[in-house]
Amino acid sequence: MIRLIVGRLLFMVPAAFLLVSFLFALFHLIPGDPAVMLAGDNAPRSVVEGIREAYGFDQPLHIQYGRYIAKVFQGDLGISNYTRDPVVNSVIPRIINTAQLAFLSMLFAMVVSLLLGCVSAMYWNRPLDKFVTVVSLLGICTPVFVTGLLGIYFFSIYLGWLPISGMSSWRHFILPVITLGSFQAAVLTRMVRSCMVDALGKDYITTARAKGAPEFLVVFKHALRNALLPIVTLFGLGLGHTLGGSVVTETIFNWPGLGRLMVNSILTRDLPITQGSIFFFAMIFILVNLLVDLVYAWVDPRIRYD
Amino acid sequence: MTDFFRRYSRDKVGVFFGALLLLLYGVALTAQWITPADPMAVNLREVFSPPSATHWLGTDQFGRDILSRVILATQVTVKVTSAACLFAVLTGVPIGMFVGYRGGWIESVTMRATDMLLIFPIIMLAIVVVVISGPTETGVIVALGLAQAPQFVRITRGVTLSIKEELYVEAAIAAGSGWLHILARHIWPNISTPIIVQATLTLPVFVLNASALSYLGLGVQPPTPEWGQMLNEAKDHLINAPYLIVGPAAALVIFVLSANLVGDAVQETLNPKLKKRK
Repeated sequence: MIRLIVGRLLFMVPAAFLLVSFLFALFHLIPGDPAVMLAGDNAPRSVVEGIREAYGFDQPLHIQYGRYIAKVFQGDLGISNYTRDPVVNSVIPRIINTAQLAFLSMLFAMVVSLLLGCVSAMYWNRPLDKFVTVVSLLGICTPVFVTGLLGIYFFSIYLGWLPISGMSSWRHFILPVITLGSFQAAVLTRMVRSCMVDALGKDYITTARAKGAPEFLVVFKHALRNALLPIVTLFGLGLGHTLGGSVVTETIFNWPGLGRLMVNSILTRDLPITQGSIFFFAMIFILVNLLVDLVYAWVDPRIRYD
Repeated sequence: MTDFFRRYSRDKVGVFFGALLLLLYGVALTAQWITPADPMAVNLREVFSPPSATHWLGTDQFGRDILSRVILATQVTVKVTSAACLFAVLTGVPIGMFVGYRGGWIESVTMRATDMLLIFPIIMLAIVVVVISGPTETGVIVALGLAQAPQFVRITRGVTLSIKEELYVEAAIAAGSGWLHILARHIWPNISTPIIVQATLTLPVFVLNASALSYLGLGVQPPTPEWGQMLNEAKDHLINAPYLIVGPAAALVIFVLSANLVGDAVQETLNPKLKKRK
């Protein structure tokens, strides 16, 4: 287990290095002069030249690259074009907001999909199962921004129960969490159901039923325990997708998270912030992936000995 | 092929949504001629008129006919997603075939890189590419195509690995054929079907991500209509004109739903074992 953790943590080093190299390349891949971009389109020539010198854009590429890498590993990702704040300061609080949204949405999706998936498998091929299947199919085909807009219209405008945007109280969490969580719940319900249908078809289920175990125990103890392994895998993948979906959800609800910061910085051409948010998003994905791998190894000892 | 259609036609859901999907493609192909009004024509005297006999889905903040814009957006979506899908296939499949056939360090490096890219959600990869390629139609096609290409690399490598062990490939090597000839003549014809099926199955993913990009403002730019972007604009007018979301939302959901169900039906027809499990 420790070898696995160390191995995966070591994998993060080249990954981070590649990532920073890509962010450096971003300066030069984006069409246009980086100095003009930092100065603003209407900046006078002297300002542009000043920035070119200050940022070292007049130096050869390998020197620029070395400087950039050195700066990033000292925790300096530059300053925002607009607020003039260090990028790290604007990004870090956003990460916590995104984490809250993603974590609660995933929790919602896990609870809903486990319940619906198990119930659906219990009533396999009967009206209740068909109903759940149709609802989850509709959920998969409805993008989060459609669910979000319908939610805002119904609960915030028509009924006036919930706030439209922001995150200042627990009531602000309800719509974004359900919007993001229900898409994920729909995806996961289908998969949990098929795992459970598989598990319920096994011989040990027939044995359990034959010895007179109540149906509730058969489903939630015998079948669910054995179906848990693929389900944990699915939840791991789901967490990554939830983080990806948070970008759109944050934009709908004006959630002050990392995703909205990234999108806004792209739209306003605030390159340092874009680089910073891509950097942290990528590190989060790599970390989440690592955690999920560790959870597999913990749940399924066979992986540990591989 | 006729056998395929005969078996497919037994699946009623598949036939219904297949017809619906064909209809949507028909709408996309003929969009210029079937819009009831000019989708770009600004009419400030008819701003925010609710659905009526002349404007079935109402008009937006510039007095433009929503139905016409939804129809034109269908064309934009079909164009962008088909091109992006083609782009993903054209980049992912050759790489997957080459590394799968060649093996060695090229294969391990490519697959390591692919695995790393697969950690990230498609929408994130697409956003990062859009930063470079720009929010234009071509930019979005490249972004979505590149974001999905790793999946095609992995699938293609998988099937190539199994095909390259076949006797006829060995025979071709023995006969002195070069690798390019073997890939084009012996491997591609035998892996094309699963890859084409895979491409159709991922179509809904392309549609969802294309509309998400344009919802974020990183997709096709106004005034060209796109469902996601229309919904983003509609959000600002939810209080006085909630009907604005009906058209684009319905079109988007119906398109993705049809594409998903047709994909399922095609897969079940080709692989009847799947049906039993359901």
